[in-house]
Amino acid sequence: MKRLCLLLTLPLFPLLATGAHAASADAQPALRASTCSVRGLMDDLRRGLGSGSPSYQRYLRTLLREAAVTLPDAELRDAFARETDPVMAEHLAAALVARAEREADPQAMDVVAQRALQDVDPAVRAATLRAMRRTGALERTGDLYERMVRDESPQVRQEAATNLIEDNAHVYAGQYGPAADTAVTAAVASSDPEVTARILDNLSTEKISAESAERITSLLRSDDASVRKAAVNALGGVPAEQMQGARESLLAMYREEPDEGVRKALLQSVAQLGFDGAIADLQRLRDMDPRLAREADAWIQVLGMGLQEWSLLLREKQRLQQAP
Amino acid sequence: MTPESLHRSAAPAPGRRVPKALAWLAGAALLVGGVALLSSRGDAGASSDAEAGGAAASRKGAAGGRGHGGRAGAGGTQEEAPPPPRFDEAVCWRELERFDAAVTLENFRAWAAPLLASGDSLVADYLTERLTELIGQDPDRASEVLSWARTAGPDEFNVLLTALRGSEAVHHAQVATQLLAQGMDATLDGGRRAGILAALDTQKRFEPAALDTLTSFAKDPVSGEAGWAATRTIARVMKRDFEAKGNAAPYMDALLAIGTESPDEQIRYLALSTPMHATPVLDEHTRAQYAKVLTQEGSPDGREAAAHNLSISGDPQEVLELFAQAFAREQETCVRWALFRFAARASGREALPVMANMAMADPRFQPLYQIFEQLYASGLHDFVRLWNSLPDQDPFGCLVGHD
Repeated sequence: MKRLCLLLTLPLFPLLATGAHAASADAQPALRASTCSVRGLMDDLRRGLGSGSPSYQRYLRTLLREAAVTLPDAELRDAFARETDPVMAEHLAAALVARAEREADPQAMDVVAQRALQDVDPAVRAATLRAMRRTGALERTGDLYERMVRDESPQVRQEAATNLIEDNAHVYAGQYGPAADTAVTAAVASSDPEVTARILDNLSTEKISAESAERITSLLRSDDASVRKAAVNALGGVPAEQMQGARESLLAMYREEPDEGVRKALLQSVAQLGFDGAIADLQRLRDMDPRLAREADAWIQVLGMGLQEWSLLLREKQRLQQAP
Repeated sequence: MTPESLHRSAAPAPGRRVPKALAWLAGAALLVGGVALLSSRGDAGASSDAEAGGAAASRKGAAGGRGHGGRAGAGGTQEEAPPPPRFDEAVCWRELERFDAAVTLENFRAWAAPLLASGDSLVADYLTERLTELIGQDPDRASEVLSWARTAGPDEFNVLLTALRGSEAVHHAQVATQLLAQGMDATLDGGRRAGILAALDTQKRFEPAALDTLTSFAKDPVSGEAGWAATRTIARVMKRDFEAKGNAAPYMDALLAIGTESPDEQIRYLALSTPMHATPVLDEHTRAQYAKVLTQEGSPDGREAAAHNLSISGDPQEVLELFAQAFAREQETCVRWALFRFAARASGREALPVMANMAMADPRFQPLYQIFEQLYASGLHDFVRLWNSLPDQDPFGCLVGHD
């Protein structure tokens, strides 16, 4: 289109600009393109992370990942193995993960996973896990996450939870059952209620297996209210085949549940499982607990709008309750 | 490239892995029927690159820039084993550290020029972000950068406007006013005006006067590429304002005016299709407007967009009746498919009798009706999940190259 005119002006531009700003060019850096090396990148990164602008730091991190595919494999692995600074270890691990992701070195992921499991420094284990975030690492690392959520360090356990949540949401868009099943398995395997609850509170269970649904259902009997609440939330989104069973479990639980927050979550999941077909159930539950009458009424009102997407129902309920 | 062709080819490129995820993402794009908020007509300036964020796949390939994982061997015979992956080497810049430490707004253009001329997209991204930092919250600095944009070459122009768009200062009234004024400056070429108007799309809201200016401009028969960018900017700001404050009505009126009055079919389609990204629940007045579009718009894409918007309404029954009537007189298969599936989005399983009638009138919809019936019988309610469960989301080839 008309941008063609702009394109025609391009070759002239650098010359013109350099001339126009000659006065300020005295101290101009002698910028020169060169081949990247592991050592050079590491040196730049180490210095840049200490004193560079935020944009320069982002650039260096990205550059290392982008350059990783053409860097000498042995040198990169060696640098990673020797690095003890968690920050630098994270970036080197990210470079190895990038190599694995691009099929330049399929075994590189194992190297990173082993470090996450075995390094003596919990900060390095946590950093190495972060390097695998929002990649396909979850599919290539076997039972890594099941083990990492049992790490002795709470920070490492939380990093593992974050990977499971973000990978499922951003790499698989909540639509890949095996990835969601891995997250459920890890959530159930963890003895840290904060980790279990956080994973299940933030996971799409739309494609989970029947076995995973059963595992989540078993957590409805947890002693920890945050775990029960997260299990309730997770059951609201199960596959069609599990919906009837989930609905029955949740309705049965409501009567005995002592915690108000868990009951609130139960109302929401019953709504999610039934849409406007849940209105009769919600009216019954409303009468059981006067503390939650307003909450039940809000759901009944929103479900009555007839909207056919869960995200819109959630949005409209939030608007309803925020309205003056 | 038109918005239509973009939306039809919007499925992410086949990935090296996680096919399920990519398949779903493609489905999401198809569900909304367009990616106008994410794409651009004629690469209208700053916004598309910035919007892409870290998505390497959407960046321009750089000669000597990042290794974007291009595989060689497209021309090999079937008998040959695929060659090993081959990657472009990334570029490391000597003295970039000193550049970073000493660059100022005053020397930025001169110092950045050789980096920009290299075509290294990674370093171009850095320059953009560094310039955003240099502008900071200062409206005078933003104004100065905007003044450079009037004469900058295309690569520098993109850096300048993307940096401006992402800065804190762009939210200062003085800067927004200048951007709008320059976007309206008829002495500038269309591509440049488009880029400037696109840089307004990070605004939190538009006051009525600015919205009127953009709307009148977008409807103008000669607005062209810049009118398209103005329309997209209105839609993007609407989405932000609606999500933050629930405010959609003035923008919806603006987009409907453009969508019904612009003589440019691409601009009309953009205006009609973009509200689906914010998904407001339509009130009676807006429903009536889109109902008119459904019967009067000459472009099938525009009628599809109207059906999409109408499917989220405060009166599902009215919409179902409207869709039933529209289906009967509609000749275009793709619009019929839109009316069919959006009937389900409007009313859920209550739409099944209407969908059954549609399938009676047009037997090509019989197998589709059976699928919807089975999915509802399985217990699904959420239209998004139902859509994700369809064995084929594009049974009539409407979403990729049906022209």
